[in-house]
This record gives sequence, structure tokens and C-alpha cells, in this order.
Amino acid sequence: MLRIEADRARFREIVRGRIRSDLKRYLSTSELFARRGERAVSVPIPQIELPRLRFGDNRKSGVGQGSGERGDAVDCGEGPPGSGAAGEGPAEHALEVEVELDELAAMLGRELELPYIQPRGRHSLLSEGGRYDHIRSRGPDALRHPRRSFRQALKRTIASGLWTPEDPKVVPQRGDFRFRADRPRPLPHSSAVILHMMDVSGSMGREQKEIVRIQAFWIDTWLRSQYDQIEVEYIVHDAAAKLVDRESFFHLRESGGTKISSAYELCLSQIQTRYRPEDWNVYAFHYSDGDNWSARDTERCMTLLRDELIPRVNQFCYGQVKSAYGSGQFKKDLDDSLRGEERLVTAAVNDRGDIPDAIRAFLGKGR
Amino acid sequence: MSSAARGSLELSPALREQVVRIQALAREQGLDFPQIDFRVLDAHDVNGVAAYGGFPVRYPSWRFGMEFERLEKTYQYGLSRIYELVINTEPVLAYLVNTNSHLEQKLVIAHVCGHADFFRHNSWFAASDRGMLTRMGRHSERVRAAMEAHGQDQVEEFLDLALSVETLIDPYLPLRRRLGGGAEIPPAVPTYDVLGFLAARARLCDWQRELLELVRAEAYYFLPQRMTKIMNEGWASYWHAKLLTGGVLCDSEVIDFADCHSGATADSPGRINPYKLGIELFRCAQEQGLDIFRLRRIHNDASLIDLLVDERFVERQRLFLYGQNAKTGRTEVVERDPGRVKAKLMQDLSWGGLPQIELVGVAQGGDGALDLLHHHDGRDLELEAARATLLGIERLWHAPVRLSTQESGEPRRLVAKNGECTVEDFEPAA
Repeated sequence: MLRIEADRARFREIVRGRIRSDLKRYLSTSELFARRGERAVSVPIPQIELPRLRFGDNRKSGVGQGSGERGDAVDCGEGPPGSGAAGEGPAEHALEVEVELDELAAMLGRELELPYIQPRGRHSLLSEGGRYDHIRSRGPDALRHPRRSFRQALKRTIASGLWTPEDPKVVPQRGDFRFRADRPRPLPHSSAVILHMMDVSGSMGREQKEIVRIQAFWIDTWLRSQYDQIEVEYIVHDAAAKLVDRESFFHLRESGGTKISSAYELCLSQIQTRYRPEDWNVYAFHYSDGDNWSARDTERCMTLLRDELIPRVNQFCYGQVKSAYGSGQFKKDLDDSLRGEERLVTAAVNDRGDIPDAIRAFLGKGR
Repeated sequence: MSSAARGSLELSPALREQVVRIQALAREQGLDFPQIDFRVLDAHDVNGVAAYGGFPVRYPSWRFGMEFERLEKTYQYGLSRIYELVINTEPVLAYLVNTNSHLEQKLVIAHVCGHADFFRHNSWFAASDRGMLTRMGRHSERVRAAMEAHGQDQVEEFLDLALSVETLIDPYLPLRRRLGGGAEIPPAVPTYDVLGFLAARARLCDWQRELLELVRAEAYYFLPQRMTKIMNEGWASYWHAKLLTGGVLCDSEVIDFADCHSGATADSPGRINPYKLGIELFRCAQEQGLDIFRLRRIHNDASLIDLLVDERFVERQRLFLYGQNAKTGRTEVVERDPGRVKAKLMQDLSWGGLPQIELVGVAQGGDGALDLLHHHDGRDLELEAARATLLGIERLWHAPVRLSTQESGEPRRLVAKNGECTVEDFEPAA
């Protein structure tokens, strides 16, 4: 390894150490959430610079060169390309470091001492139609690989002593031809679906949704690291439920009454039609502030959970986010009437500080 | 084998020919420089060398890895790229980047000749160790040996402590020493060589003292480059322009040259482009009939600006003072008054651009506290960073450390004691 790569590796190790030790803080902020990419999050690392005695207002005033009247804005960005040179002042802005989601999940797992999930038994299927990244000595002409074929012919020519550098002639024979081939690939044998359900009735405010959003991010991150393939579905409800995309799930604000059973019914129909428990590990999460329209509807929810939902899922999690208006009755009802249901987990989240505990409650069973 | 040596390529015959030609032309024009050892690197490796401050043999530290990460990112995003690196050793080491066009290589070769002449003749470099490459290699061996004996974490932690005080040195010490003064070890109090004082007097184990001394040696080596950045770049740009337009360019290259040259010496609002300001300073001196060779010998950035910048220069160069608008928080042009622009420019460049910190006293007996004084010139310290730094000094010194400074015109004293740093008001002694 080049020396600079060793130092870079050391730097990255230190950064990871910082993220690990700051994970508690990240767990209750949306800092990482906002920077999520397809496979990685980029984490801004503040203050990794060594402390030094330096001026505080360096960047606020100074001498510049160019046009501009008094009061005109000055762009303090980077200089023109090419003006950078060795020995330039140290980096002033925070550096961003990419951390793979898998790695973040591992950190989360260590921090909250989460057990690994044992997926429910699945038979693994082999599918045709993988990618053509293989070579075979037999195949249709359409898949002939000219370069590999030539190489084979060349090898044979040289090995048989027929090769003369003065007259470099290679004549391919039947056995020299090589063909592209596909490799059968196993279907992802452990697939999971996450169904996030959220109460968006009038009493769920910005802060409540933010808490849900942070929790959902960490839950997704963890479950993603546990399964080969994962689908996420979002359901919102007030008096009626509907499927939405990710963006609206986090930003939608409805008003009006709350009928929780509507969400549970939609969730159930999703499971029945698209995510049959024989093929999928199913996780359902429901977040609300604990108010329901009527005791009758709560009754209906309990029945749905006991008879239909809980038997079909790996785990059903209910997170009750405290709001100014919510009574918090629903969690009590759940705990009372479904006591002893192993696959039901409930947690109360009063503020952001409770997020880690809620995540631990939800994911700590290893189910 | 070092990463640079492994990745470096020989010059192509065409480039070698240019090197011979341009060097001869430079010497004809009066530049005088030692042998220059040119190497060609790819962009990735040049970032690696630059991250080590030009010395690929340097000791291992995560900070160099961080710098590399930053250079690689800005290169990937196309924000900036390095054309060349010149190292002040003898022979001078010059790294060219293989993505430069042929024209750019010619420009860079001429530019390097300017730097090499500057390193040899500018008096601020007179005390520089020209065998620094070997010395850095030795430093690296010592750091590695310490890591082997005491563990990477412990040594790294101490190095970080040492590096956080590497700026507490006396910019004038190397010159004074050449003139026969300031050679006391430990430095006599009061002194600006706080780092030297700590290395000599702090209660440290042998390996720690050795590390502190090597950090100090490297800090003094890099110091003159910080004090002459504008001059050095200006001098090199002045000569690359002069040499290239004086016969090195073929006709078809003139436009590309103009483009490349003006790109490097363009205004960059909001901060000074050292290439631009530097070249204009030398041109201005030449117009006034001054001996530019003499100027490059005796001055540093601040003193050259003091000599040359006047009303006319500020207007012609369109220099302005910017500041933050208290209402909007926006950075904007404040004024163009030549006197104030010049004063600010000199303030920013004096003392290597760093706060002037003097060690003014060591308590005899008692707690043995160290007293530091910040010579306040209107610019406050960043107090959070100052507190963290002071805590570091306390750990090196094993006794309380006090720093007198000001905040918004009020006297303040930072006291680091028992691992905690407090800020208190105090009445400065009359």
C-alpha cells in the first residue's frame, strides 16, 4: 500500500471512531438523514482540525481584488482553478466523509446492542437470466467472443510450436472458439418488507413527524443490513388510509379525525396481495400520538391485530409520539388487550432523547 | 521505496530538451539556481506528495491522510488541480504533473526556475536546511520507532498535541541566530519561541522531547514559505511570463499561453491571489526603476508591500477592503481607501499571518504556571480553539497555563488548570 493510503486509512478510521462515539447524538437528529445517498451517507466531520491559536474573524474581513462598489457582495468561495498550490492554508470548511449504510448499521447495532435477525426459513430459488459474464467453450455463434477465441487459438499455436514471429499467422480451429454465457443466479433468499404507517391527523405536528422520520431512517438502515432485499411501503391515515411515496410520507399534513383501523386494513390488504408471509419477512410500524376516533374503532383495531396482522408479520411495532393534544390512550389499550403477544412491541417517545430506546425496543428482539 | 519515487516517471526527451533550453535562458537573464531535479507524476501521486507538504518520506499521521482526502475531492470535483510542486532542497526537487499540456509543462518549468532562484537568494531562506529530504526521512524513522515502542495511539496523541502548538515559534529567530543572537537553549524568557521553550524545559520523556524537537524543526523549515508566499509566487510568475514570451513559445502557442497565464493570475474576489498580487508588485517595482533582484533578496511579503503599495497601486489593482455586514451577515465590499487597504493587507501578512504570542513569564516555585501574552492588534482570537490549545499546552507543561488577550476590547485571561480552561476578566498590570 502506498504510504499516503495508509495515512488516509488512519484518517478514515479516526473519523469512524468519531461517528461511533457521536452516534447517540446522530440518533436523535436528522443530520445524517438529510445526507443519504443510494448506498452511503456523507457525514460532515466538524472540528477534526487540531486546535490552534488563531484569529476568530479571519474570514469575515480582509483584502480582495477586483471590481465592486461599496456594499456589493463578495464571493468568498474557492479561488480560480489552478491557483491552488502546495502549502496552501489548511482546509477551513468541514470535510464530508462517506460512510456506507452497512457500516452505519453495524455501528448502530453495536451502540444499541442489537441482535442479528434470523430470517424465517426460506427456500432459495435459482433463476435463469443472470448476466452474461461467463465464458463457455460451446454456444451459439451469436454469443461468440472473438477476443477470447483468438487468444485461445494463439495459445494453441504457440504451444504446438507452429508460431513464427516472422510470419505471425493464427488460424482458429473448432475447439478454439469461446462463447459468452450467463450464470444462473440465486434469487435473493431473504427478502423483507417494511410497512410504515403514520397518523397524519391534525394533532401530529412538525416535531412529531420529525421524530417519526428519524426513527424510520434508522429502522430502515438496520433492517436493510439484515436482508438481501428490502421493500419499503408508506401508509398515511387520518380517517382514511392511503399508500404514498416516501416524500409525501414525511411531509404530508392532513387534518381531521383519526381512524386507525383504516391503516391496519390497508396494511393487511398489502400483505395479502403483495407480500405474502410465505415469501417475505414482514415488518409493520405504526406511529401515532395515541388518539383514536372511537372506542369502537379501537376494538376493531385489536381484532385486526390479533386475528389477521400479528400472525402474518415478524413483528408489529407501535411507536407513540407524544403530542400536545394526544391522550396517549391507544398504547394503553394495546398493552391491556394484547398482553402476551410476543410479536407486538410498543414504545412511547416523549421527545427526541427517547428515540434510541424506542429503536432498541423495536429491533432488540432479533425477530 | 517511497510512493513518489515509485510512481515518478522520467521526463520525455522533448521535455528534457525544454528543461535544458529554458534553464539556459533563465540563467542568461540573471536567475541563479542550483541543479533542479525534475520528475513527472500523475495527478493522484502529486496529491499524495502535496499532502505531505512536498516530502513523501514524512512521518505517518492521519493529518496528511486528511489533506490527501481533501485534495483528491477537490481534484475530482474539478475545483482545483496542482500543476507543479517545488521543494526547497538542494538539488531542488520539482514535480510536474503528467496531465499538463506541453505548453503548460514549459510554463511550469520556467515557473520552477523562478522558485529555485528565490529559494537560493531570498534571505528568509538563508537558514533553511537544504538537506531537509534526508532529515524528514530521519524524523519519520524516529516517529515510527516511537510508535513501535509506545504504541501508535499514544504517539499519535502526543504528536497531535505538539502539532497544535507548532505555530508558536519566532519568525525572526533563524535570522537573528545567523547574526549571532538568540541561540540560548532553553530560550531566555521572554521569548516568542514557545515551542522551543517547551521542548527544552517541559518535563517530558525522551521520545516525547525528541518528537517535540522534530516538530519544531519542521515548523521552522516551513515558516519562510508562509512569510514569502506572495513574493515567491510573484517572482516565479514574473519569470515564467518573461521567459516564455522571450523566445520559448512558438507562434501557435501564444494564445494558449495567454489563457493559461491569465487563468493562474486572475483576480479572485474575496481573497488575494498570491500569483496575481506578487507579479504586479514586481512589475510595479520595475516601472519605478528599482532593482528587482535586490528586492527578492531582502524582503518578505509584508515588507515588500509596505515598500511598494501606494494609492496608485491600490487603485490600479482595484484592491478593496471587505467585511461582514452586521445586519445581513453578508460579506461585502466595505471601502477602497488606499491607506486602510494597505494597513489591513500588512496586518494580515505580518507575523506569518498568525497571532503574536509571547511567553512572558514562568512562575518560580509555587505552581510553576506559564504566562503567555497575546499581542492584540484589534483581531480577537477564536476563543474556543484557544481554550483547547491551552489545555494541550497544560498537558505538555504539566502545570497551569495562562494566556492574556482581549475580547471585543475587554481584557480577558484564559487559564488552563487541572484539565479545565476558564475565561476570566482581569486587570492587566499597568
